[in-house]
Amino acid sequence: MSEERFETTRTILRGLEAADAERLQTYLNAPTMIGRRYVPWRIPDVAPLSSSRVEGILEAWSKEKKGFAVGIELRETGELVGHAECNWHWDTHCPGIGIAIAPDHQRRGIGFEVASRLIAHLFENTPAHNVSGWAASWNEAGLAFAKRLGFAESGRIPRSGIRDGAYVDAVMVDMLKPEWAAAREGADGT
Amino acid sequence: MALEGRLVLLREERREDQAVFARLRNDLETQGWNVALPPSYTEAMHIKRFEAMEFSYDRDSARFSVERKETGELAGFITYSDLEPRLGATIGIAIAKPFWGTGVAFDAQEVLLRFLFLELGLRVVHLWSHSGNPRAIALAEKAGFSVSGRIREGMYKNGELLDTVVMSLLREAYFVQHTEFEDRLPDPFPGG
Repeated sequence: MSEERFETTRTILRGLEAADAERLQTYLNAPTMIGRRYVPWRIPDVAPLSSSRVEGILEAWSKEKKGFAVGIELRETGELVGHAECNWHWDTHCPGIGIAIAPDHQRRGIGFEVASRLIAHLFENTPAHNVSGWAASWNEAGLAFAKRLGFAESGRIPRSGIRDGAYVDAVMVDMLKPEWAAAREGADGT
Repeated sequence: MALEGRLVLLREERREDQAVFARLRNDLETQGWNVALPPSYTEAMHIKRFEAMEFSYDRDSARFSVERKETGELAGFITYSDLEPRLGATIGIAIAKPFWGTGVAFDAQEVLLRFLFLELGLRVVHLWSHSGNPRAIALAEKAGFSVSGRIREGMYKNGELLDTVVMSLLREAYFVQHTEFEDRLPDPFPGG
């Protein structure tokens, strides 16, 4: 993987360091990030995260053997504005992707830029045939984001969590490599 | 009270079960994995895994040996994992071929579901299968599961591109099927 593959117009996707813990803790604990933190399995997705919990997240990512997590740094300011994770826990044939952007940097297209880059990475540099992800059923913005990226809804796993007095479904989305390639050809006008 | 059904007992696994478990793991049709595993697992490996298990009151998974009541034969195993207490879990089953079509798998699944819904008070149970395993899907549907999601062409097995399939069984659907039981556990989020 050459380094330039992990750059976009406005961002650099880089390894996360211990020095990122404070910034990570700040945006993960923002109320609007609850339920969409996209942190390793079994890390609380609701309760405030202590600094030691955040260190645990960084440690889990650093030990990930079947995937990677990157910090999203703005080229212009050097600020960490989010993180993204790709993993192939089951099979490199069908990796998963998750992305979280700090609330004060959402709605600027940064997530789209980064996710597009990582999806291209998975299809161009790994054996991936299907890339999948998920969003909570209440997360309409996340689901619209996935649709814009070219994902299609492939199911709803009921009662995957609880929020505001109701069960939450996990909405599954996926994208096949031929779909990705066709969309890209269309976008290129080729 | 044992986990007992019409045909099977679900009991703790034992050291002497491991030879059967190795055989299940070495059969491409029963190993139950997303990607084919090399059929080269040994009984010794399984014994090592078995002996490494530690006592805990705080377990989010369990594996039961499925024993046929009539003969005492070991038919396979059944598991639950990813337990979210009082909310959900995921089950899995592997039954040796001589017991296919005998009702053992369905009975074992029913016994485990009874434990998960009536003892652990779960609101939903999930399982993962694939479109190339109609036997497992039919078994789940018979118990009331329905397909809740797919990863399209998410598997390559036996030369075929297959959909990974998630199936789910809601608590209320379980009790509709089991009128012999009354659900006395209040739903914390009725209608949700």
